[in-house]
Amino acid sequence: MKFVTFSWFIFALIPVTPAFFPSQALAQLPARFYLKSLSGGSAVPLIVESISGNTNPFDPAHNVTAGANFDATMSLAGYALAFPLFDRAALAAIIVPMGRISGEVTVAGKSVSQSAKGFGDPMLEFDINLIGPPAQKNIPDVLRYEPGFSLDLLADLALPIGEYDSSQSLNIGQNRWYGRVAMPVIWQLGPWVPGRRTTLEILPSVWLFGDNTDYGGKTLKTDPSFQLDAHLTRDFTEQLWGAIDGTYYKGGKSSVDGVSGTSSSNIGVGLTLGYQINDNLNLTFGYKSTVNDSAPDDLKMDVFMVSLVYGWHPLVEGMKRLSGEK
Amino acid sequence: MDLYSLKRMVNMKQIKQQIKQAGMVLVVFFTVVIVTSAYAEPPGPTTGKNEAKRPNIVIILGDDLGFADLGSFGSEIKTPHLDSLAKDGVRFTNFYTNASCSPTRSVLLSGVDMHQNGLGNMDEFTAPNQWGVDGYEGVLNDRVATLPQLLKDAGYHTYMVGKWHMGKTPEQIPAARGFERDFTLLDGAGSYWDMTNLSAATPKSVFTEDGKYLTKLPDDYYATKTYTDKLISFIEAGRGDGKPFFAYVSHQAPHDPYHLPQDWRNRHVGEYDKGWDAVRQERLKRQIELGIMPAGTTLAERMWFIPDPIVLAPASRAILGKKMELYAGLVENLDFHVGRLIDYLKKTGQYDNTIFLVFGDNGAEGNDLFKMIAGTPGTRDALFAAINWSQTHPNAWGDPGSYVAYGPMWAQASMTPFSQFKGWLAEGGIHNALIVSGPAVKRPKGSINNSVMHVADLMPTLLEIAGTSYPKSYQGRELPAISGKSWGPLLAGKAESPRTEQDYLGWELFGNRAVRQGEWKLRWQYKPLGTGEWELFNLVADPAERKDLAAERPDKVKALLALWDDYVKTNNVILPSRSVFETMYDVLPVRVPDDPGYPPLLYKKQFVPPKEMVVEPKQ
Repeated sequence: MKFVTFSWFIFALIPVTPAFFPSQALAQLPARFYLKSLSGGSAVPLIVESISGNTNPFDPAHNVTAGANFDATMSLAGYALAFPLFDRAALAAIIVPMGRISGEVTVAGKSVSQSAKGFGDPMLEFDINLIGPPAQKNIPDVLRYEPGFSLDLLADLALPIGEYDSSQSLNIGQNRWYGRVAMPVIWQLGPWVPGRRTTLEILPSVWLFGDNTDYGGKTLKTDPSFQLDAHLTRDFTEQLWGAIDGTYYKGGKSSVDGVSGTSSSNIGVGLTLGYQINDNLNLTFGYKSTVNDSAPDDLKMDVFMVSLVYGWHPLVEGMKRLSGEK
Repeated sequence: MDLYSLKRMVNMKQIKQQIKQAGMVLVVFFTVVIVTSAYAEPPGPTTGKNEAKRPNIVIILGDDLGFADLGSFGSEIKTPHLDSLAKDGVRFTNFYTNASCSPTRSVLLSGVDMHQNGLGNMDEFTAPNQWGVDGYEGVLNDRVATLPQLLKDAGYHTYMVGKWHMGKTPEQIPAARGFERDFTLLDGAGSYWDMTNLSAATPKSVFTEDGKYLTKLPDDYYATKTYTDKLISFIEAGRGDGKPFFAYVSHQAPHDPYHLPQDWRNRHVGEYDKGWDAVRQERLKRQIELGIMPAGTTLAERMWFIPDPIVLAPASRAILGKKMELYAGLVENLDFHVGRLIDYLKKTGQYDNTIFLVFGDNGAEGNDLFKMIAGTPGTRDALFAAINWSQTHPNAWGDPGSYVAYGPMWAQASMTPFSQFKGWLAEGGIHNALIVSGPAVKRPKGSINNSVMHVADLMPTLLEIAGTSYPKSYQGRELPAISGKSWGPLLAGKAESPRTEQDYLGWELFGNRAVRQGEWKLRWQYKPLGTGEWELFNLVADPAERKDLAAERPDKVKALLALWDDYVKTNNVILPSRSVFETMYDVLPVRVPDDPGYPPLLYKKQFVPPKEMVVEPKQ
C-alpha cells in the first residue's frame, strides 16, 4: 500500500529532533526545528560540532573571556518523542552533550591552559503548539499538515549533573540550573510541496540562569538574556534544502562574587544545508559565525556542525516491512 | 473468495493499477481532415419584431460532469448558481448524451447522429475498418450544418468559449463552423493553467481566439475564469445592436487533470474520507428526497474491482478522498464562474430573456487518461510526463504540472445511482443531469420532468425557440436528417415528453451498443463490464441496471434487436474492428458479484464477553 511514499512520513518525523541540535553552540537552533510530526514518532540524533571562539560553547551564558581562545569538539545525542496534548502537537526530549574543550584562559590576569572533557548537563525540552494545525494523530493528519502560521511555547531545562571541576574555570558542566522559555514561530511562505517549501522562522527566547555557588570557590551569577533566532529556508529539491540563519543575543551580564562583567550584544549569521538521505536518515551541515566581533570583549565564535538524525514511527516501519522494503 | 482475492481486495496499490490498466483512455489527437468552408444560407424567416423578443441562449456544458454532481441533483457539492437555474427552471432526469466527449459535442452542434456527422468514433480511436468512411472522419464533417451557423443565419450573435475537440484545421475550427467570436481550446484536454498538453506527440495545446491561432495565453489565464471573462466581453461588445445571442460555454471543468486555484482546494478537507459507498448512499437519499429518483431506487452495485472503503486504511481513504475533494472544488469553481455570468446578465437586464441549458457531455470519468498516455516507463510520453506532469505530491495537486483524476470509485459516486462511467453504455456512461431555464420554459419553476430526452434534441429545440427551423439543404448540399425531437411542447407545458412510446434512442461507441425504447434498454458491452452478450434492463424498475432480464423476456430482446438493426441501417453504424475495450477482460480481475458484507471475515468485530464473566487468569 504505497499511495504515498514513506519519505513523506519520515520527513514528518525528522522535525521530532529539534532538541538534539546544539542549542549551546551559538545558542541557536537550526532551521525547520519546530515543524511538527506524526504523534508517536521518535528520533535519535547524533550531532558533532567543531567550535572555536572566546567563550565556552557549553555555557549558554556566553561569558566572554577577552583574549581567550577555545577549541571544542562537542557531540550531542538524545531521544525525542512527539505526542498529542489537548489535541495540540507536543514534544518531549532529552539531550546529553559530551565532548572536550581546551583553551587559553585568563583568570585574574594570569593566563593558563585548561581543558575539560566528559558529559555536559543533560537538557530536558518540552514544546507545545498553541496556534497552528492540530496534532498529527494519524497518517491523514500527516498528509494534510501544512504549518501555515504556527506559534509554540517552548521550555528548556538543563540539569546540573555534568562534569564539573570547581578548581578550573573551563568546564563542560555548568554546575547550575539554567533553561529558557521561548515561542517558536513558523510562517509558511507559498505552497507546502516538497521541492518548493519556503519558511520564515523566528524564535524569541529568554534564558534564565541559576547561581553557580562553586565557581572557583566563588559565586557566579548571570542575568537573564534575550535571544532572537531567525531562519529563511527554502527547498532546492524534494530532499535538499538550505537556510540563511541569523542570531541576535543580548544581555546575560555575569558577576563573580558581586564583581560584574559586561553585558553582551552579539549577532551571528550562518548557512545550513539539509539533505534527506533516505526515509529514516537526515543529514544537516552548517556553519555559523559571529560578525560584530572586532572588539576584545565581543563574542567570537564559529561553528561547523554535522548532524545525523534517525527518525522512525512503528506504523511506518510496519508498513515498510509489509511492503517488502525492509 | 480465496486468500489471494482477499489480499487483493485490501491492496489498494494493486487495485489502483488494475483500475488504471482497465481504463479506456481518451487521448487527444486529431487527424487532419480538410473540410470545405461553410457559409450561411439566407437567414430564416424572422422579423424585426420577433427578433426583439427572441431569447438569448446559453449552453453550459460541463466536461465529464456527473449526473449527481449538482446540489439540485442530490450532491453535497455546493453549486448554488447552477441550482438557482434549476430553481428558476426545470430539471430533467432522463437526459442522454453519447458516452464520450466529441461524439456528444458533434451531435449537440449538428443534431445529426454521430455516425453521420464525422464522430462515428472518437478520432483518437477510429478503427481500421472505419478509416476513410463517411461519418468517421474524426472531426465534425462538412456534410452537416451547425447550430451556430443556423442561428447566425437566423439573426443571432454566436459565441463560443471553452473546449472544441472536433477539428483543428482552419476549416474545422469554431470560427469556420458558425461562431462569430470564440476563445477556444481545440484539444480535448490539457492544463487549465497554460498551453501544456498531455503527450510528447502533442506537447502544446492549441487555442484560437476569433478564428486566429494563439501564440500564447492571456495574462492571469485560468481556463474557467478566462472562458467566462471572454464570454462576458463578447456579449458586452455585441449588446449594442439588440440582436439575441447564442453562447456555447463549453467548459473544460471538471475534466481531469483537476487543476484549480489554491483557494478552491481545501473546501472539503476530510469530507470524503468516509468513502464512495457512503457518498453514493447519501446522494441517493437526497435524490429521492428531491424527487430526482423515485423512492425505492437502489444503487448500482459497486464494481467488483473497487474495494469497500471501510476496509481501507485511513491514509488510503484520505488520499483517495482528497482526489474527490479537488473534484468538488473544481465543480464549485465552475459554479462560481457560472454565477459571474448570471450576475452579469442580471445587471445588464438580459437574464430574464436568456435560456440556460446545463448538462454534462457524458458520464463521469472513471478511466485513467494519464496512465494510458504516460504510464509506460521508457516511452517518450513517460519522459514528457516526467518533465511536465510530475507534481505528484498531494499538496501540489491542482498546481500546474499535477495530474489528478479520481478514478472509477468516485466516478460511480458522480453517477449515483447508476452503473459504470464514461465510455460505457451503461447508464453511468450516458445518463446526464439537465437543467433548462428561461423564457421558453412555462412549466412550474423548480419542477422535475422524467421524460426521455437526448442531446440531439437541442438542434430542433433551439431552432424552434429562435424562430427558425432545420433546413433540408445547406450551401447547396442536402443535409442529413436530424435525429432529435423538439422540446418546444414539453417546455411549454403542453406535453410531458418529446417522444412517443414508439420512438427509440440508439448508441454505439468503441463497439459497445445499446438501444432504449420506453422503459426498456438492450445493451451489449465488451467483457468484463459487459458480458459480451445482449443484456436487457427495465430502466424504470431498475435504473441501476442490476438485473439482466434477457433470459426472461426474449420477446423484448427480439423487439429491441430489431430497433438496433434499424439504428445501424439508418445511421451507417460500422462496428469497429478494433476497440480500446477489446482486451479489458484480460486486464481486470475475474468479475464476481458484489454481495455487501461478503466475505464476513472482513467485517467481523471484536468479541466483547459479558462483564460478569471476565476474570484474571489463575496463576
